[in-house]
Amino acid sequence: MKLLDSLRIVWRNLWRMKLRTILTSVGVMIGTAAIVAMISLSLGLRENAVKSLENFGNLTEMDVQPAYMSPDGQTPIPPEQMKKLNYQAVQELKQIEGIESVIPVKSLQGGAQIKLGRREGDIQLMGIDVHESRSSKSDEIEKGTYLTGSANEIVVTYEMPRMMRDVEKERREARKRNASGAGSDPMMQGGYPPYGMEGGGSDAATVDMVGKTATLVINRQFMVDNEPKFEKKEIRVRVVGQLAKSDGMSRFGGNMAFVPLEMINELNKWLNPEGMNQGFDPYGGMQPQQKRTRSRTEQEEVIFDSITVKVGSREQVEPTLERVQRIGFEIYSPARALKEINQFFFVVQLILGGIAAISLLVASIGIINTMIMSILERTREIGIMKVIGATVYNIRWLFLIESGFIGLIGGISGLGLAWGAVQLLNYVARSNPEFSNVLGGGGPGGPEGIQQLAVVPLWLAGFAVGFAFLIGILAGIFPAFRASRLSPLQAIRSE
Amino acid sequence: MSNGPGELTVKDVQHSYGTGKIKVPVLYDINVHIDNREFVALCGTSGSGKSTLLSLMAGLTRPDAGQIHINGEEISRYNENELCLFRRRCMGFVFQSFNLLPNLTALENVELPLIFAGESVKRRRQRAADMLAMVGLDGRTGHKPNELSGGQQQRVSIARALVNNPSIVLADEPTGNLDSVTEKEILQLMRQMNREHGTTFVIVTHDTEVANQSDRVIHLQDGRVVQKDTTMIHAT
Repeated sequence: MKLLDSLRIVWRNLWRMKLRTILTSVGVMIGTAAIVAMISLSLGLRENAVKSLENFGNLTEMDVQPAYMSPDGQTPIPPEQMKKLNYQAVQELKQIEGIESVIPVKSLQGGAQIKLGRREGDIQLMGIDVHESRSSKSDEIEKGTYLTGSANEIVVTYEMPRMMRDVEKERREARKRNASGAGSDPMMQGGYPPYGMEGGGSDAATVDMVGKTATLVINRQFMVDNEPKFEKKEIRVRVVGQLAKSDGMSRFGGNMAFVPLEMINELNKWLNPEGMNQGFDPYGGMQPQQKRTRSRTEQEEVIFDSITVKVGSREQVEPTLERVQRIGFEIYSPARALKEINQFFFVVQLILGGIAAISLLVASIGIINTMIMSILERTREIGIMKVIGATVYNIRWLFLIESGFIGLIGGISGLGLAWGAVQLLNYVARSNPEFSNVLGGGGPGGPEGIQQLAVVPLWLAGFAVGFAFLIGILAGIFPAFRASRLSPLQAIRSE
Repeated sequence: MSNGPGELTVKDVQHSYGTGKIKVPVLYDINVHIDNREFVALCGTSGSGKSTLLSLMAGLTRPDAGQIHINGEEISRYNENELCLFRRRCMGFVFQSFNLLPNLTALENVELPLIFAGESVKRRRQRAADMLAMVGLDGRTGHKPNELSGGQQQRVSIARALVNNPSIVLADEPTGNLDSVTEKEILQLMRQMNREHGTTFVIVTHDTEVANQSDRVIHLQDGRVVQKDTTMIHAT
């Protein structure tokens, strides 16, 4: 017997008892709709929780720090055994399965200014491994390109061009104010404008830096015979790109710029030939305690400010966390909360899905009842089919498929019902700002309106329909065996 | 024991109804042989066991003892599924009450055995249409059983019995529900099929007209095969 023929026979039988088929399917429909709605709500809530977490930063990029405690969390690690964020650490992290790239970052241990035409501004230089960071940072480029690996290239943040001061204009205005006696202006006193007011404080004063050559100015101070001495270094750099506007939670924002790591290492050596690991001073590295001893030639080991590791997907976060901890590092990332979130919502899904599954169980009893009634009504028909050549397996197959079809019809209509309910729920959630506040549409990055309170992913839709079909098949096993065991002689004699 | 296509042998068959201690014997040591292309009538009064014997020949029920050989195969040893397959391959059935599926058209009813045999749609439609044309119903293919007369329904039933080209057709009172004119037509039709297709026909009847049309009449009385003058011919 061909599959198409059996489907045709089954469809005809179901169509023949339309009302009963529909009523039985309604039970499955309600069960399926309940399961889909419950799980989609749980998935939606989890998604919102994860999105809230993502407001704290990209979850697949995590900062690595030396661990202070052993992996069991009980024993403190002695300082001499603590890991360092050096090149060896970079190599060790690269060996870990799941880590796609390891991005060491080292900032300039001193202040710097950038000059472009008649504009200039303070800048924080961040040295970054160009090769390792290219895949993740390239996506963040809004204008131009990312660092190509050539020397003396620079990529500025979105905010940097807006923070460039027009020096000529400031001087002109200062002269005017000076002439008119307005001597209380801080600009006139050589100070800086309030933060955020640089460059006129508006986009109108933005300068397009990309593709232009700028000059980096770095100052160092050192003591000779207890007398402070100053030295200035100017480097011509090419601004190759500009990052997109950050969400406000990124570590890389404000007046920052990325340069190749090698350049920062060189500049740090120039700033601090002794290799003193000084704290970061954004306004010029004017610490008087810095001493210069030119005789020292020993190269100090480079200790990075941070090492960022990038994993391929959110699912790889948890196993990578464990592997990194095993080699003596600790990860500080909002991604650490993912495990707890996933576990919590898995339990929620089980509970909600389980409650909904009870209605599907009831529906399956309905299917069994319908199929048994159907056998009683069609006993003679079954007998005739067996007499004219239907095998035991043919009869079983027909009844199983028929029962499965009832489940399938219920499953598809239940999915439709659940989808409609989810759309309605999402519409209510979108149009009601209360949901955003209650359900955490935003974190510190600023609350965004909830787009989807519940989601019906494709796998859930497929699972729901498949599960309903399976329930139908399972419910049909007993009636199918019962039908196939009917004596053909008794069956054809029955009325 | 071996016999060729269309041959049927019933050997020492006993059958009773009921289970356990309460058993009602119906057939006693039946021995019957039907040759290929024979048109045989099984006659007897009500309760003589003729329909039971036909059911045993069809494999619809199992004998308590004895063997049934059809086309050289001992069907009494087959399990239910093998019996189904054997019926599909070698047997056709005609019933007194036609036993057509009411929700199917005449063509679909005739097509049904071929559906179970896995025949392609095109071939089985053609074959079913040819069979209906052969029984004189080529204009009624789209009609459902309730739109056909008793005689037409029985013609559909005969077409269905012959559609898979069986070697034996077993008929249980095929003219029992028909008027005398239609009865003659149906008998002529079955006789024609017997002659043209070489199909063996075993017909259960208590109608003398049917018996007269047959090559041979096997009489049953009280579960035993007897001659017309009620003399037992195969009893042991």
